[in-house]
Amino acid sequence: MNITLKHFTRSVLAGSMLASLFSASVLANDALINNSFHPYKDDVPSHDGLQAGMVINQDNLAQFKDIIDPAFANFIEQGWLEVTVGETTSFDLHPGYIEASRNGLGQVSLGDSVGEINGWVAGRPFLEEPDTNDPRAGEKLAWNYKYGYNWGDSAAVAPFYWKYRDMNSGKLERTIKFNFHFLNFTGRVNHEPVPTITPNPSELFRGIYVQVLEPYDVRNTQLLIHRAQDDLKRDNSWLYLGFQRRVRRLATGQVTDAFLGSDLMIEDFEGYNGRISDMNWNYKGTRQMLMPFYNHNDLTLDAETHSDSDGYQVVAFGGQGGCFPNITWQLRKVYEVEASPVDDSHPLSKRVHFIDAQTFTIPRTVSYDRSGKLWKTFTIGQAHPDHHLPANKGTGVSIDDSFSMIDVQAMHCTTGQFKGQVDPSLSTPEMFSVQHMRATGN
Amino acid sequence: MQTTIKGLKHWSLTLLGSAGLALTPLASAVADEEIRYSGYYENATFVRDSVGLSKFRNTMQLNAERKIGEFGLFSNVSWNAVLRGSYDGVYDLNKNEYGRNAGGPVMIENIGGGNSVPHGSGLALPNSFDEANNPNEGMIVLGEQLHDTDGGVAFGVPVRPCDVDSRGCINGYLDKDTNDLRYSEFNDRLDFIRELYVDFDYGLDNGHILSTRLGKQQVVWGRTDLFRVLDVINPVDFSRNNIYDELQDIRIPMWILKTDYRMGPGEIFDDLNLSFVWNFDRFRPHDIGQCGSPNNILDAACFFRGMNNLWENGGTVANFAGGVFATDFGPGQIGIRKAHMPAWSLSNGQFGLKLEGVYGDIGFSLNALTYRSQLPSLRGGFPGQNGFTGETAVWPGLIAFDIHFPRVNLIGGSLDYYAQGIDTVFRMEVAHTDGEEFANTLQSRLYSESDVTRFVVGADKNIFLPFLNSKRAFLFSGQLFGQKIHEHQLENRPLGKAGMPDWEENFIGTLLIKGWWMNDRLSPQILAAHDFKAEATAIAPSIEWLVSDNLKIVGGANIKVGRGAREFDDCRSCNPWDPFTAGAPGHAEGQTLGLGGYEPLGRFRAGPIGMAQKEDELQLTVRYSF
Repeated sequence: MNITLKHFTRSVLAGSMLASLFSASVLANDALINNSFHPYKDDVPSHDGLQAGMVINQDNLAQFKDIIDPAFANFIEQGWLEVTVGETTSFDLHPGYIEASRNGLGQVSLGDSVGEINGWVAGRPFLEEPDTNDPRAGEKLAWNYKYGYNWGDSAAVAPFYWKYRDMNSGKLERTIKFNFHFLNFTGRVNHEPVPTITPNPSELFRGIYVQVLEPYDVRNTQLLIHRAQDDLKRDNSWLYLGFQRRVRRLATGQVTDAFLGSDLMIEDFEGYNGRISDMNWNYKGTRQMLMPFYNHNDLTLDAETHSDSDGYQVVAFGGQGGCFPNITWQLRKVYEVEASPVDDSHPLSKRVHFIDAQTFTIPRTVSYDRSGKLWKTFTIGQAHPDHHLPANKGTGVSIDDSFSMIDVQAMHCTTGQFKGQVDPSLSTPEMFSVQHMRATGN
Repeated sequence: MQTTIKGLKHWSLTLLGSAGLALTPLASAVADEEIRYSGYYENATFVRDSVGLSKFRNTMQLNAERKIGEFGLFSNVSWNAVLRGSYDGVYDLNKNEYGRNAGGPVMIENIGGGNSVPHGSGLALPNSFDEANNPNEGMIVLGEQLHDTDGGVAFGVPVRPCDVDSRGCINGYLDKDTNDLRYSEFNDRLDFIRELYVDFDYGLDNGHILSTRLGKQQVVWGRTDLFRVLDVINPVDFSRNNIYDELQDIRIPMWILKTDYRMGPGEIFDDLNLSFVWNFDRFRPHDIGQCGSPNNILDAACFFRGMNNLWENGGTVANFAGGVFATDFGPGQIGIRKAHMPAWSLSNGQFGLKLEGVYGDIGFSLNALTYRSQLPSLRGGFPGQNGFTGETAVWPGLIAFDIHFPRVNLIGGSLDYYAQGIDTVFRMEVAHTDGEEFANTLQSRLYSESDVTRFVVGADKNIFLPFLNSKRAFLFSGQLFGQKIHEHQLENRPLGKAGMPDWEENFIGTLLIKGWWMNDRLSPQILAAHDFKAEATAIAPSIEWLVSDNLKIVGGANIKVGRGAREFDDCRSCNPWDPFTAGAPGHAEGQTLGLGGYEPLGRFRAGPIGMAQKEDELQLTVRYSF
């Protein structure tokens, strides 16, 4: 009996120790989760003199230069725009994504080479704060972006207006109206099936399907992109040309090609649309910066470009040449990451990405040409889903809602106005097949 | 047969009526849905070397589409209509070349006595023709725009529209009047209804989809540009701009039922689809143009019109008797008698199957189609009058033909592949047919059938040329088209080669280089095509300027270099009316000696590029879209 009691006592003690270790581990995980996904839970960043509702312009720019990236500060300095400051708000991602990230804790690691990752199923792969002493910190942030919640499991931007403008004269040269559809084949966390759509014989990660609605000369053009889970593999892409009525497979290697004549390279989409293995990633630090995060419904919108039965209007543009979205900017925690191309013939010497720490979207990117001169700056306005279309409420998606790509060398810009809809019925798996392009083409 | 035709007509009307009836409640049920309209007005003005204005075409196209969505058992229901009408002013503005005043009196070469004689003044056969029925007016000499007769055969060809001059107009085939030419869509086939179809999907329990498109439509097979190896379901209107317009604009839409069984991704394939096509429309051949219009591919329409005129009215043929004397033939002796247009019956239907899929970096299709040849076949071997004796009989080797459109069976496949290592997409098509017919002077009926294999290999690559444009890559797209006629016949005869004028094996290469500037609003390109055996090249540089989202201007040229007309056995020496037409003692009846010239069979050696060597053009197209 004594022996039994001793054994029982030891067992209880051991169990208690394990439980406390376990609870310590749980607490540590919670801390990581909270830090990564809820950075504004307890406090919001602040800066001397900065308050919601104020306007930053040429007159007071000096006071705020260290919370604005240099390229954008230069625009304000030249009087090309004024920035209205909004309140810092939390863009909580979907609980399913957060839970998947928690489940993946400790399971994910980088492979030996850039572009290789092990153990990822869904969610944010790396929750730890980046460390400047970690030579692969930038790469981990790139993976967090790639496997970010972005548009959720699926979504549509329908419609999506791209306008090409002469920045000097403000002349509107071209307007293209698209529908964009996104679907994650793997890493799904919210809509069934999770985490993977099967069958998926080519082990696809994501599909992007684009339809051009206007103008006439490119009407009925469709683009389908299949992105493999294997980052080292290039995309498979197909183009349906309305005037040929045929699906053509595309060579996808030239991702630095201007897309349909816009100021965006294919590689620029969503901030960065290439392979992780195509870049050297260098984490430069964590900053507090003004970023284009806002409530769509609180803005003064563009009443002319789009109207439909639900009354939705797109973001208005103004400033120099009509190249800047009329939005509000809020002070947020940002990771600065420099991406320099592996390929020496790449037209860029580097991109500097300002990655939002909470959402892992890339709302600001500054690109430099081969000689190191500033070439383009890219702004992607992020709208809170609870202040957007009613259907987007509660989706936990930081909604890409406006963009502006400015070629400062050519003084030309391309602007984007979105109607983002996080609705799985708009982006069904059969849409992401080659046959769908043929079936719907005319 | 008549019953069958009527039955099919009723059936088809019922089918179409059903579609129409189906649309009626749909339209009312979804009255709040939006019909999307778009369209354009386009003026195409072309000027041709030595001819002047060759096109002044004004086109208006209106597209309407309506996405209906769910309806009863069906999903993705929609309808689409495309209306197109055009007026080509060239028949009014350049009527001396292409309209009611075109042509004139002609002189027919007569190397045996003097240089030439007027039409109607050749060596008269005992059974000759009455010039009153075939006067020397409103004609050109066959092939004169490309070559001199040069010792070969030739004859006068009427060139005025068929309402002005009906000579040589083949009933039901090549018989356009002035308004048919001016307003090409407004005809008895209602071509102004360019497309009109309904789409609907039916979801199966296993997740697969039956996706159907029913109505007047274009069905496009294959993966290559310019060449129609697999893309042969719809006939093509070459009268619009020879081979150079986008196929979308020159395919002739047909009433077709197309149903796809969409299996989507499976355990092996990323996408798999089985497609069934039933072309239940009344047969239509390619529109090869009409003699007297600016574009008639291979100049075949002039050959046919001249030949039909010879059959109907008789006429003078250059350098015929003895190979040197212009000879006056009577009607019903040589020429083209009529065209046998396939009747509208189930047995003349056209059916196709295609299995298409994606396997990783490879896309593929397997295709099978049974259809009627859209190109005419000339079959001899029917009774004609002996010009010397007046006897009517079947004469071997007599150059008297009926036009047929034989049934052709096709099997083939296609492939595309993205080679990551070299960042290049390869495209390939191959098709094997049986049932095609070719001119053949070694056969007593002057044609023979042969299996044919055709293929195209293409490669697309985007290449940055930073010294020209650092922001936008150039598209380089090359293709090699090959054709092999398996039962090819060609022999050396005493006076030259005889047999099948088409090359046993031939290749055509194309290269497209396209660049973009000013945010894709300015796009120059150069397209070149080279026919290796014909040794003829077409070069088409152009520049496209998008002035605005609505206004597009395209300026270009179409220039041909290399060899033009080619010679081949013309069957003057086929000796059909032995002994009167024997070339030498012992010359067997119906056997050619191989005497040749440019006309009429050299065109098959020169090909569409070689035959258009004198058709260099400057082209300006202005399109306003809305």
